[in-house]
Amino acid sequence: MATVGGWAGKVLRVDLSTGRTGTDDTIERYRDVIGGTGLGYAVLWDEVAAGTRPYDVANKVIFGVGPLAGTGAPCNGRTAVTTLWPTCWPTPLVGTGHMGGQFAAELKYAGYDGLVIEGKADRPVWLSISDDRVEILDAREFWGQGIRRTTVEISQRLGAEAAVAAIGQAGENLVPLSVVMTGYSHSAGGVGSVLGGKNLKAIGIRGTGHLRIAGSTEEWERLVKLHLSLLGANNQHVVPDSPQPWAEFYDPGSRWKAAPGRQWGAASVPIDTGSCDPKEFNRIAYRTNNAVHYLGDIAWKYTVRGNGCTGCPIRCHTMIRVPAAAAKYGIPEMGQNTCGGLNFGRSFFKEFPDGPRGQIAVEACMVGMHLADDLGLWCNYSQLQRDFKKLYYDGTIRTKLGADEFKGYAWAKYEKGDPSFLFELLPRLARREGELGMAMGLGTGGLLERWGLSEAVWTKDHELQYWKLGHPKHHANEDAGQCGVILNTQYNRDAQCHSHANFTRNGLPLAVQKRIAAEVWGSPDAVDAVQAFTPMNVAKARMAKWSLLRKELHDSMSLCNWMGPWVASPLRERGYRGDDTIESLLYSLVTGDKKSREDLDLAAERIFLLHRALTIRDMGTKEVRARHDTVPDWVFEDRTGKPAFSKGTIRMDRADIAIALDLFYREMGWDTITGAPTRAAYERVGLVQVARALGEKGLLP
Amino acid sequence: MDAGEMDRETYERLIDLAMAVDGSLTRRCFLHVGGLSVIALSTLGSWLAAEASAPVLVLPQAKGLVLADPTKCVGCRRCELACTEFNDGKAAPSMARIKIARNMNFGPRGAFLGREGQGTWGNGLVVQDVCRQCADAACAAACPVQAIGAKSPANARVVDKSKCIGCRTCVSACPFRMMAVDEEVGRATKCTLCDGKPKCVEACPAAALRYVAWRELSRASTFRTRPVERRDA
Repeated sequence: MATVGGWAGKVLRVDLSTGRTGTDDTIERYRDVIGGTGLGYAVLWDEVAAGTRPYDVANKVIFGVGPLAGTGAPCNGRTAVTTLWPTCWPTPLVGTGHMGGQFAAELKYAGYDGLVIEGKADRPVWLSISDDRVEILDAREFWGQGIRRTTVEISQRLGAEAAVAAIGQAGENLVPLSVVMTGYSHSAGGVGSVLGGKNLKAIGIRGTGHLRIAGSTEEWERLVKLHLSLLGANNQHVVPDSPQPWAEFYDPGSRWKAAPGRQWGAASVPIDTGSCDPKEFNRIAYRTNNAVHYLGDIAWKYTVRGNGCTGCPIRCHTMIRVPAAAAKYGIPEMGQNTCGGLNFGRSFFKEFPDGPRGQIAVEACMVGMHLADDLGLWCNYSQLQRDFKKLYYDGTIRTKLGADEFKGYAWAKYEKGDPSFLFELLPRLARREGELGMAMGLGTGGLLERWGLSEAVWTKDHELQYWKLGHPKHHANEDAGQCGVILNTQYNRDAQCHSHANFTRNGLPLAVQKRIAAEVWGSPDAVDAVQAFTPMNVAKARMAKWSLLRKELHDSMSLCNWMGPWVASPLRERGYRGDDTIESLLYSLVTGDKKSREDLDLAAERIFLLHRALTIRDMGTKEVRARHDTVPDWVFEDRTGKPAFSKGTIRMDRADIAIALDLFYREMGWDTITGAPTRAAYERVGLVQVARALGEKGLLP
Repeated sequence: MDAGEMDRETYERLIDLAMAVDGSLTRRCFLHVGGLSVIALSTLGSWLAAEASAPVLVLPQAKGLVLADPTKCVGCRRCELACTEFNDGKAAPSMARIKIARNMNFGPRGAFLGREGQGTWGNGLVVQDVCRQCADAACAAACPVQAIGAKSPANARVVDKSKCIGCRTCVSACPFRMMAVDEEVGRATKCTLCDGKPKCVEACPAAALRYVAWRELSRASTFRTRPVERRDA
């Protein structure tokens, strides 16, 4: 390999206990795991012993990015934050949160591919990184302050261009449902309290360096343009949501919202989003409007613009300006976020006076973002809100709170959908105040345990969408049948895998999807129409393996799995095909380390096997099929009694899912009885030492 | 004409020039945008001093320039990356010849917690700083070795790396803070208009940048500045 490009070359280590800092050589030590989650899993495997708990001094937090972060490869802005997961219940296991914004790029420009936080400071500190100048500084003046004030004050010290990631009061107070947050609206859920436990309030980074592109400038430009041509809207929806002159197809569920007459109405002068022909690269940023996706057409008039990560043209965080909410609740006019963060406040309420997509819903979003993104609360993919609604309306909250505490909340406001209720609830969650504030911030597992509730009630309830280990489903059977179920069995928090859903929900007609599926996974039967699922087959297992590996590959290279992979595209002339080699093309050209698609899939398998090995090691059992890869009961039921595989249901069949797991384990080369990877499976990806260590503990099948 | 009057007149010319090339800015806005007022005044002294002793530099007029619309910028920085990746083979926003990051978070006034801010933390507006390809290019006038000159076909003011001695006088001289330095080689660099096909314009996913013909409008625009002058008086 000639001079390496892409990577910055060093991983920064900071020991908060001793104040020592140092660096590792990325290429020498971590090239086989690429970066991102790969780096995180490798550090935890090598350096954090089994049995360590999330808040132990011995736990580490790894901010990992990959060779594409900070380059012009589209969608490279996410940082993977890996640690022992505080809301994984009953046994904390490895988990990763992801945050976008400018942090990943700035870390790279400062000269680092990752940041390993070790130990625990004896007083509140923040970490200042200005290129090669790394300092652990006193943070007592920020302790107790919200994320926003902390970020601005650190930016005043490091410069307005700095990327700052900070925890709020929730993280400081060791609320397990807490985030670390960067760039106003980008949060990595779940890890706030682990940083709080280390007395680390914030990380500020200013980087002025550069990243080399190993390939020629002409080749790189051509490749970037190829990648841009394959992009859809957010979640790789490749058709618009309404008929457009250029479009053969449309799908009302698409996040591709642009259309003539639909305007960013709160821009200083309104901007028409237009028809956004996919060949117009200068209009990609107008395609997506996630405020409209979640809140309905009312959000157009509030839209200022799209926002998002470094180098990403998609802009999945929509900035909205709602002066009425500012006047009514005394909050800023501006709000921005996406998905669970956007809906943080709204999701607590069962109903609003003007319906689910009215003005009050918008205001609930504004109040929720204002509070949660400053206090640093995490929604656990909206499980917090689903749990809250259930426990209020079934009377549990009234039972568990003392009478005085219960009366301390204006429940009448809550029931009628008044967003000002959030001012009563959310600060108390962040302060762990009272029984409600204490219990709700624990995450579902801790909450069930504290209040003596049965997990079985949660696993039976469709509305709760609970999966296992204290966490909900994330793109499961509702989007991709058995493939979604398999993926949701594999992680220790909500699965966060989008590879499969970004294909099944891309808006193309089933016939086109099947044609592409045949090319990618060997059979058109890999995909079904949503809610018209067919029994399990090998192609679906192949798709599940591919989905899992691409997720880990993206998380390690720094490509956004909320956008990729790109096996479909909006381009009619390509038969709507994307390019399944785009990851390897980008990796090879940027680094100069030529790797095929198969090479990178093998690296991704190595990375996921580290996750699997960590899970098995820390659970202390190889019986992961029975004890880890579980599927909640609601998946096998239909509220109207429709049988599995009939039209209009997402119900799965127990025997069929058992076959699904068999086929998936076989595709992965794992033991089908225990669900554990075999020695050969580890050795095939080069994890010989890992296999030996597990073998010595009797954790190989 | 005393020195104070000359300063003011030159400063007015700079403002008019900036407004002429960027119709989206009002004069009042200009005084904030770019955070230029202080910097311009502080650097003008050295520019004028250099001008006094340096030979008169006449450059052919640039044929175009990049025109930025802040109301459309989505803060993705693809322009910064295209600028350096497709020209220099490296992702190096700190030497990009179009500058987004410095105004992106808080706006030209820098990091503060207020309701009047711009950028991600304010009202969303991101002011893209671009090279004006000045008729009287301060960077070129200040260069002690005449390393900055017009280059065909676009007649952009460009740095001749073989002549540049890396003294950074041009960096201080540009009142818009648009000069950059390639720290790897220790040489100044600036917007070349990519020979008339600017990579940044092509890269913008929100059509917030355009490549337009350069026109001298400083005379024509004086009418717009009068009310402000009266207010200042």
